Amino acid sequence: MLTFRSAGKSNLSAGDLVSKLEEGCTKWPKASLQVVHKLWTEQGPLVHSQQEVQALLSIGQLVDMQWKLGMAVSSDTCRSLNSPFVSVLLKIVEPSGQISQKSFEMTIPQFQNFHKQFKEMAAVLETV
Amino acid sequence: MSDIDAAKSLTGLLNGIAQKAYHNHGEVTEDLLRTELYPVLSPEDFHALHDKMRGLLKSIAMADMDPGQLEAFLTAQMKRQGSGGMSEGQASALSRFWRSQRARVRESLLAQSRWEPGLRGLAWRVDLQTSSGRGPEAAPGGPVALLELELGRPSQDSEYVRLECDEATVNQVLKKMADIQRSIDTVVHRS
Repeated sequence: MLTFRSAGKSNLSAGDLVSKLEEGCTKWPKASLQVVHKLWTEQGPLVHSQQEVQALLSIGQLVDMQWKLGMAVSSDTCRSLNSPFVSVLLKIVEPSGQISQKSFEMTIPQFQNFHKQFKEMAAVLETV
Repeated sequence: MSDIDAAKSLTGLLNGIAQKAYHNHGEVTEDLLRTELYPVLSPEDFHALHDKMRGLLKSIAMADMDPGQLEAFLTAQMKRQGSGGMSEGQASALSRFWRSQRARVRESLLAQSRWEPGLRGLAWRVDLQTSSGRGPEAAPGGPVALLELELGRPSQDSEYVRLECDEATVNQVLKKMADIQRSIDTVVHRS
């Protein structure tokens, strides 16, 4: 079933939308299709841009953070790296309900700054 | 070429090699180096010099040689016969170069060894939600932290990840961060 919402998300033109409706069902009266065509020509672009804004405004929610402390020992260009790093895996619930993950690495000083920022955030959250 | 000029050109060459190999300046080509620094040398002769210097620099960087190790290494190179050998002028130019550039080259090598996205930046703010559009299961408002993480791999564009985080989650994350810091302290203490 083709809806206006999916047509907006796919950014279909009025002509494409009408063709898809006809493919789906041969019983569409011509007059109805003409109304759909006119309506979509006028309103389609607005629906699409509103959906895009909605996507921007809906951000994921952080639900968990997993971590590991690693040590880069050696590489093909440097025999003795001796470099500790913090690796983090963020678990995020998207507005759709799906769970996604983002991982990244930090040097020790970067992690300590990250930690400091979170402490500041917690302090502000407490006072609000 | 006078000794001073020879030393200057060699230092320039070593800088050029380091720029390309370690500091991501791919535009420093062999041809550019030859025309700028050794215009009199033929491309073949320059190529041999370039490769030799690059190989030496690679060995020095790979081992992250301290002054003692470097001196022993250069002395051994000077003792070699024929085209594998090295003049005193070349050895002292290499030594001067490594003394001033060692830390920077090491920094670059470390950065090159990180293949996962790194945290380039973090911005955040705290909002007070008056209501939540997430349906009946969601919290009825309250303060929420909005974060924007800037992530990126070396020489790639940044990816911006935007997240929201409620107070409970921030506190949970803080507990884990305290665990990370304890781990770091243990490792640093041990090494």
